[in-house]
Amino acid sequence: MKITHDGTVLRGRALDVRDLDVSGRDVVAAVRGAASPVAIDAPTPGAIHERVGYVRPGMGLSTRTALAVAARSLGHSAPQDDEIAAVEVKLSALSCPSVSTRAARKAASDRGTETERVRERVAELRGRVQAARERGEEPAELEAELATAVRELSEVETAAAAARETLVAAREDAREARDARERRMRLEDRRANLERAARAQLVERVDGAYADAVTAVPGPTPADPFKADPVTAALAIGRVADLAAPVVLECDRFESEGAAASWLDAPVVRL
Amino acid sequence: MLLVVTYSRAARRTLRNACKTHEETVVRRFGRAALLADTEFGAFLALRLRAVHGSDVQIERTRPLNEFEAVPEPVREAADAYADRDHPSTPYAKFAVGTDHPDPESMKARDL
Repeated sequence: MKITHDGTVLRGRALDVRDLDVSGRDVVAAVRGAASPVAIDAPTPGAIHERVGYVRPGMGLSTRTALAVAARSLGHSAPQDDEIAAVEVKLSALSCPSVSTRAARKAASDRGTETERVRERVAELRGRVQAARERGEEPAELEAELATAVRELSEVETAAAAARETLVAAREDAREARDARERRMRLEDRRANLERAARAQLVERVDGAYADAVTAVPGPTPADPFKADPVTAALAIGRVADLAAPVVLECDRFESEGAAASWLDAPVVRL
Repeated sequence: MLLVVTYSRAARRTLRNACKTHEETVVRRFGRAALLADTEFGAFLALRLRAVHGSDVQIERTRPLNEFEAVPEPVREAADAYADRDHPSTPYAKFAVGTDHPDPESMKARDL
């Protein structure tokens, strides 16, 4: 591989870049083809690099998932693969329209509130008209106001009824649209179950090699290889996997970057 | 009560977590659905779920059924009589023929 940074060029299978002003994150980004202040010319990383291509204390690692990816890097496949692909095809063909009835709910509520307000106004005006008549007055102005309010009430009641009908129709549309979501969820559950089964099968292909690799990692050996600390597990998985792209190491398990590269059988960048 | 039904794995997971954290507000839990208490907090949980997961969350308001208030007597009687029928294989439509029990179609046409 070739690393270029700020006028410095380094070449080799195992490189120590601690003298360069770069972070592990920068190097990993460069390896994965993302924007980075450092340039790297090296083989393109596969899926396994996402899992164990950047080894540092405090890293997160899902050991079994990473081991399954490692098994795939070696060319292993799972008997569930075809069915998983078929489920993927069905999922991508499924369209799930939005089923929001929010606008209809809001409109029905607003129209309802409006109707209530006008109804109260009509009742109030009726009371005042009647009181005026009882006092022997001729409340022509109030009566006109009442007539206007009654007309308005009829209008808002019509609008409220229409809004309620719209909401009922929207709810029915939503029910139909949810059928698609229901199917999607069933397919997603199916895919998850298949993937779990596939992962177990793939892990079985490499768990012996993984256990040996955990034992061989410099440093203390855990009793259960699946309870190894993330750095130990990542190094062991890296040794098992077929890693073509440079592994970025921010740990002190090996005497030299050269020792790490030959132990992992992969290019190594040490920080 | 508030019935919350989820339509995606992520929404189902969030509902499950919310139910675990707020047991006192959960009336009943089903796999991907839950009945929440008819309180402001129940509504808060349900609406929060919908705010996060949108169309993958359905919220309905339910209430207990008092059949003596809401269901006409002939329907109640038909249900009891059919449950108590002599021949378990008789479908209800056939069972109702020639009796005073309402036929299924007319019951379907009438809202409660």
